[in-house]
Amino acid sequence: MSVSVESEPESPEIDDAVPPAHRRFGVAGWLAAGGALGLVLGLVGGVLVGPTFTRPGENSAEAGFARDMSTHHAQAVEMGMLAHQKASDSDVRTLGGDIALTQQAQIGMMQAWLREWKLGPTGSRPRMAWMPEGSAGLENGLMPGMATDAEREQLRNATGKAFDVLFLQLMIKHHLGGIHMAEEAVKLTDNAEVLRLAQGMVDNQRNEVAAFQLLLKKLDAPA
Amino acid sequence: MSISTPAGDNKRRPSAVSTGKKPPAGKSSSSTSSTSTARKSSTAGKAAGAAGRPGGKAGGAGGKGRKPITPVKVSQGRSWGPIAMFVAVGVIAAGIIGYGSWAAFKGSQPWEEKAADISGIVNYRDNPDKTLTEANHAWGPLTYKLTPPVGGNHNYNWQNCMGDVYDAPIASEHAVHSMEHGAVWVAYKNGLPADQVEKLAGKVRGNEYMLMSPIDNLDSNVSLQAWGYQLKLDSVDDGRIDEFISALRQNATVEAGATCSGGITATGTTPRDIGKDQQGG
Repeated sequence: MSVSVESEPESPEIDDAVPPAHRRFGVAGWLAAGGALGLVLGLVGGVLVGPTFTRPGENSAEAGFARDMSTHHAQAVEMGMLAHQKASDSDVRTLGGDIALTQQAQIGMMQAWLREWKLGPTGSRPRMAWMPEGSAGLENGLMPGMATDAEREQLRNATGKAFDVLFLQLMIKHHLGGIHMAEEAVKLTDNAEVLRLAQGMVDNQRNEVAAFQLLLKKLDAPA
Repeated sequence: MSISTPAGDNKRRPSAVSTGKKPPAGKSSSSTSSTSTARKSSTAGKAAGAAGRPGGKAGGAGGKGRKPITPVKVSQGRSWGPIAMFVAVGVIAAGIIGYGSWAAFKGSQPWEEKAADISGIVNYRDNPDKTLTEANHAWGPLTYKLTPPVGGNHNYNWQNCMGDVYDAPIASEHAVHSMEHGAVWVAYKNGLPADQVEKLAGKVRGNEYMLMSPIDNLDSNVSLQAWGYQLKLDSVDDGRIDEFISALRQNATVEAGATCSGGITATGTTPRDIGKDQQGG
């Protein structure tokens, strides 16, 4: 800094041929000034905008996944709690409680992400729009694998072994839909936290589907 | 820092400038530090550069009406290149900064502000009558000052709000509890044409923290409620329905993390006092 200050006294010795004002700067000078201006604006812009671009945005795959999987999970919690309360097979009861607690905890994680990203729990785009051709996977407006209102009512009213079987069948369908969505999130995201949870869902729910199928076999019912 | 700090009274003379060369290498090993060597050469380069360009800093000082010859005419043309470049850079930068700032502002706007921006919405949380939003549990039928209510004491059991679409009126005592958990209650005037009802149901079905039911003799076709908030509308096509849901669903909860499943799924306006008989047992 003071280097340039010290060099100033030397300038008067320079030849005083006067060029037109606009040429004093020269093309290189303009380019340098333009570059400097760009840098300053970029810096200011970066400080202002940076956080918006470095965290997932309103229409990001991460936000879509967090919102949609929360909803998908919420239905598994509903069905899991029903199983925990009224399944006649103790393995089914245990699984129901396990599913409800695990998925409710995961809902909490996903909702916390949204808050950290300064995003609301409700998106402005249709369900599954964050997935390539995702909206085509909706069935009557429901995400893949979700039980319909009629199926939910059927499950609420079922008792005994019929309940256990229906729960396992609905839950297999539910998990397969959830696995599909989580796999898409794994493909689309580069966010370490999202990746970790989504991959965990894929692995865990695959294992659970296998467990459901074993239980159906035990209950002598079709998968 | 060490470069810009002059070492003692050691003065550099422009004589070094004339050669534009570094001092002999042997010198740096003597009393002259290597930093001062670097400084010398940098000033030298600067001066040489200035000298190489006719004009330089003296240009401004020298413009005292001396020799206004041919170049002056050239100066009348504008340098469109640099101007265009600056304008382009400026416009792009302003656009990026402006959009980014706007998006950041919008994105981080609290839900309360988004709700307040919805025209026609009534915020009863600010109402001096605090009974409108008190939240104790109680058995039996309760009276509410608003129809539909937006809060207040309520039944121990909540109405299931897993996107449930009820086709008959439900008990406010349960629905108020659902709103305490963060649900948006979509109420419509009983008797609304089926296609309009279906339009509303499409916004509710499959979405947890939502429930929908008809109300007899409702004073508007549609009434949206969340804890402490209400918006009455005439048309199921009103864009404010989505705005209300987006701003308030889950956000309006006064019991963070509370769920919507495990609630009452039956219809009927008389609250179900499940568990009441077990009291005192």
